[in-house]
Amino acid sequence: MYSGAESGGAIAVLHLGEYLLVSVPPDPDDDTVALLQIEVLRAMERTNAQGLVLDISTVETVDSYFARTVSETVHMVALMGGVTVLSGMRASVAVTTTQLGLNLGGTATALDVDRALVMLEQLLAQRRRR
Amino acid sequence: MTPGELVISGEYDIVQARKAVRQAAVEAGFGLTDVTRIVTAASELSRNIFVYAGTGTVRWRGISGDTDGLEITFEDKGPGIPDVTQALEPGYTTGKSLGMGLPGSKRLMDELELTSAPGEGTTVVIRKWLRF
Repeated sequence: MYSGAESGGAIAVLHLGEYLLVSVPPDPDDDTVALLQIEVLRAMERTNAQGLVLDISTVETVDSYFARTVSETVHMVALMGGVTVLSGMRASVAVTTTQLGLNLGGTATALDVDRALVMLEQLLAQRRRR
Repeated sequence: MTPGELVISGEYDIVQARKAVRQAAVEAGFGLTDVTRIVTAASELSRNIFVYAGTGTVRWRGISGDTDGLEITFEDKGPGIPDVTQALEPGYTTGKSLGMGLPGSKRLMDELELTSAPGEGTTVVIRKWLRF
């Protein structure tokens, strides 16, 4: 576990069975967002995780840097064989992100972590059947 | 609301600008979605200062017209933008970003004015008005 120095936000990657769960701190600076990506990829490599839940329920502002880094991370996790579900986007953030013109590129999303875990199970079950 | 200003000189100052602008927008009486729009635009424009000019200033103040509103000015003495019309088109970038910051901020705000001269710097003024 590392801490995003000045933001006071620690990036903790929790390992739950075959899933990883990351709760994004409320107002991360750019370094913390970059660190989040590194930590997620390290955890993917270290564990046998099949899926990742990226919870942004406490995040109040999503700007283009944050969206790009999240979108890249989802793509990188996919290249490593993992499935990502983005959970907890607030209504105000959804409105703003869309109007800003950001595209999270077909990322799977869920209202909260519980639903995200259910969705991950379904996505992974689909994949096993193929 | 209390006017204020903040110097952007490091990456972490973008977070400070978001915090200060959030407080100003709440004080000005905006609802959650408009506060989020204003803070997101401020984040994009503060990052532009840091990325392109290195340092600059963010200033905010209450304004009055038909209704009350909030005006935020982002000023730097950086390299400037050769073509301001082009800079407001989505996808235009010199390669350091997605090119969404300026056109996106314009969509999030009621008004955005961009003035720039190569070698002299860039000033972006954004405004949002309260609706009743």
